[in-house]
Amino acid sequence: MFDVETKEALPLADVFVTELKIGSSTDGQGKFTINSLCAERYTIVCSFVGYKTISTQISITKNTSMDFSLEPEITQMKEVIIEEKLAKVEGVQNYVNLNEQQLAESAGKTLGESLKEIPGVNSIQSGPGIFKPVIHGVHSQRVLILNHGIRQEGQQWGAEHAPEIDPFIATNVVVIKDASAIKYGTDALGGVVVVNPPELPEKAGMGGTINAIAQGNGRSGTISGMLEGGLKKYDGWGWRVQGTAKQSGDFKTPTYHLTNTGIKELDFSGAMGYHAKKYGAEIFYSHFQTQLGILKGTSISNLDDLVAAMEREPPQYTSGFSYTISEPRQEVSHNLLKLNGHLQTKKGEWQFQYGFQNNNRKEFDIRKGGRSQIPSIDLQLNTHTLETEYEVTNNKSSTLCIGVTGMYQDNNNIPGTQRIPFIPNFTSLSGGVFVITHLQLQKWIADVGVRYDYRSYDVIGYDFINKLYKDNLIFKNPSATIGATLPIDKKQSFSTNLSSAWRPPHVAELYSLGTHQSAAAIEYGLLLNDSTNEVMSLNDVSFKNEQALKWINTYQYQANPFQFEATAYVNYIFNYIYLRPTGITQNIRGAYPYFRYTQTDASFLGLDFSGSWQISQRVKLSPKMSLLRAADDRNNDYLVFIPSNRFEVAIRFEEPKNYALKNFFFETKIKYVARQYRAPRVVTAREIQEANELGIDLFANDPSNFDFMAAPAGYFLWNASTGFSIKKEKVRYDFRAAAENILNSTYREYTNRFKYYANDIGCNYILSVKCIF
Amino acid sequence: MNHNLIKPRTRITSLLVLTSLLTTLIVIQGCKENDPTKEDVPELITKATLTFSPNGGGTPVVVTATDPDGEGVQDIKVDGSINLTATTSYVLSIGLINGLAAPTEPEYNATVEVEKEGDEHMFFFAWTNNTFFEPEGNGNIDARADAVNYTGGTNSTDVNGRPLGLTTTWTSATIAGTASLSGTFRILLKHQPTLKSDTSDSNTGETDLDLTFALNIH
Repeated sequence: MFDVETKEALPLADVFVTELKIGSSTDGQGKFTINSLCAERYTIVCSFVGYKTISTQISITKNTSMDFSLEPEITQMKEVIIEEKLAKVEGVQNYVNLNEQQLAESAGKTLGESLKEIPGVNSIQSGPGIFKPVIHGVHSQRVLILNHGIRQEGQQWGAEHAPEIDPFIATNVVVIKDASAIKYGTDALGGVVVVNPPELPEKAGMGGTINAIAQGNGRSGTISGMLEGGLKKYDGWGWRVQGTAKQSGDFKTPTYHLTNTGIKELDFSGAMGYHAKKYGAEIFYSHFQTQLGILKGTSISNLDDLVAAMEREPPQYTSGFSYTISEPRQEVSHNLLKLNGHLQTKKGEWQFQYGFQNNNRKEFDIRKGGRSQIPSIDLQLNTHTLETEYEVTNNKSSTLCIGVTGMYQDNNNIPGTQRIPFIPNFTSLSGGVFVITHLQLQKWIADVGVRYDYRSYDVIGYDFINKLYKDNLIFKNPSATIGATLPIDKKQSFSTNLSSAWRPPHVAELYSLGTHQSAAAIEYGLLLNDSTNEVMSLNDVSFKNEQALKWINTYQYQANPFQFEATAYVNYIFNYIYLRPTGITQNIRGAYPYFRYTQTDASFLGLDFSGSWQISQRVKLSPKMSLLRAADDRNNDYLVFIPSNRFEVAIRFEEPKNYALKNFFFETKIKYVARQYRAPRVVTAREIQEANELGIDLFANDPSNFDFMAAPAGYFLWNASTGFSIKKEKVRYDFRAAAENILNSTYREYTNRFKYYANDIGCNYILSVKCIF
Repeated sequence: MNHNLIKPRTRITSLLVLTSLLTTLIVIQGCKENDPTKEDVPELITKATLTFSPNGGGTPVVVTATDPDGEGVQDIKVDGSINLTATTSYVLSIGLINGLAAPTEPEYNATVEVEKEGDEHMFFFAWTNNTFFEPEGNGNIDARADAVNYTGGTNSTDVNGRPLGLTTTWTSATIAGTASLSGTFRILLKHQPTLKSDTSDSNTGETDLDLTFALNIH
């Protein structure tokens, strides 16, 4: 078997005899043999990755030798991915996929950091190791993450709490940018991140991948392996095991190390399933465990400490490189057990899914009295989710899906922290019902859905003077979505979606009390009394559910050599919950500004663009852009931590087949992140402190938002990468080398919570090998 | 295939019922909630007492600062000014109390903890208007090398012989006649794990205590 153009032999290509259901693959010289054929007519199917599959009818009379030539198919990879994402996110109009290749390019990074490749997606960062996804300017409780189809439930209320997911578990990650993911329940005000695992194998045989990644900055090493297969003689059975280990030391800015920013991570998972034509069931278990160091120089107490920390360069405690992780640090583990099944009936398909999640979060601070080894925050959250849906296909042009979901949560502070807990203990029960219909109306493909949700909380906690309080809260709300896609012609398509979504408040927004790691500010929940701090009931405050109305439109154009996609959106969030600066309080440790969770109306208006121009057969130019304007409309003010506008251009040279090295590529990318000009006023810690000494409370008469420092200047980053593949016997090796921030530029990112303390990381070199067998 | 024996609609209904039942089960299983354990909060300091004892004997001058609500919105309350007699030598000892603990509990006396971890803690002082004859100047918050007398008790210095300052010595300024001298007196306690050295200053480490009192010399 050989390439039709180059006449090069194709090793490891597949040959299949349809009638006999037997097959073989080619050897290093592109040769293959199939024995025990009779003198009959057969259909021979030849296939190879990157080539068009051919099917040839042959008649055998005696031992025969034949040549097969395959035609390269440059776009094949793409079609596969499009099919895959359509299958996973049906009923959604506006989404972006991070495919296997893009995931491979960000291998070794956290999920939150990988997602930054998608226009419109950013992250709230706490130093170099903690990334929290931000979709169209909103994050935390407003972004839903679905891991293997289960709502990821951890302590996601905290800006420094990253999602507990190993990105190596996924073959693709889809970001749904509209709020239409009504199936998945509340909270998806900004969008949904869907982490999709590969399908389980259904045939006998075994395969797998091994990834090894080394990074210069942080001197980190990551190794991840996956092994999967089917069972001989038991068609339909499939299994997979997977694991990742990672260790990283202190990251480095262009001039100094970021002391205590190491990472240690260990994850593993296993899956087993059976699939027949009409039914199937799977069981999946995953374990995620990480230890994260928090830049030591961020451990501060009062305003004076913040003033000193902001004026200090490099940060306090800065020392040479080390792998040691000491306080302040986080220890997080997450377990997921999932059972799911589906059953095809005459009229439709029934699906069932149960998930159990166990999340443990420990945060350690530098403490007095040898208590640094005692966690200051120790939370355990158990979540049960149960979902079932039935989808009826009435005819070819319409389907109807109805579903019921239930979730039970139990969140407990593990006793022994010797601190008044930041959030109280709670149990919560949620339930929802939804109906979605998918219609084909002439050229339009439309989706309409409605949903009703209920959530109750039983809260037990201790207030600021360690006095017990209890409450029972109930929230309920409907939501709806309507969306449609119009394939205008072969080159263009247009999608539009209008959806409403809501979310019940998190207990943290209602009852928080205390200071977060590395923030010289005290936070008070919505239900704490302004002057006495006592816990009030929900009836004592004018609380309204947070509700979003998002309208999003995507236009796609695809005609060689151009291809682009532009997404414009407006998201209006009513009763948006945020931390509003309210005053200065003085305690024994000094002066602290305090913030209170308050509600306002906020708007997010933006445009995402990504395109590509195939300049020649081998050279492609790809620009990307994310623009966003966010505002607090009720107070005519700006919001904090809104990602600034960003632009990117990449030039990629690809040579898929001509050299001895397969899939050779070289890519260089320039990223420009503009300064955030739409940031709230600046009130420096020194100004607050000086005013406070004169007895002036700067926030008493002006509670508008503020930031301790002006938004950092815009910055350019230059990255480059190159790679190739080698095929040997049945094994393929992908090699990749990359350099990030090649110019070793000094910069600070506005959405990095540690911008007050230190520069962002400097130059980074990455070497990776992926072995597929 | 026998799964067609039941009508699809009945099956859906039964599945929904089953789901609800399972949910209910989970809920019942989880509802056995007891009150959470109350945490001791030994690190919390709610009250600081400054005791100026005259060297020649006599009634000590005592002032306190109390934090009524910990992390709460209320400011600390200071019970009056430090009123010292002119040209008098005093030993100042600082006492720290955790008001959320009962006086019988070991956590109540937070001074012990600072004393035990003397090599990680240091008190800094600042005052205005030359209110002291000895030490001279305005204290060591602005410049570590400035004079403060870390003497007068066993907990004036730490195990390494570096200043700690739970006990310090002061001599008030001399004033002619009935005039008086007023200013402020600030104490600052820093926690400096691994950072405390001969040169570590008031900006090093994290702040555990920062209080300012009015000071009068009569």
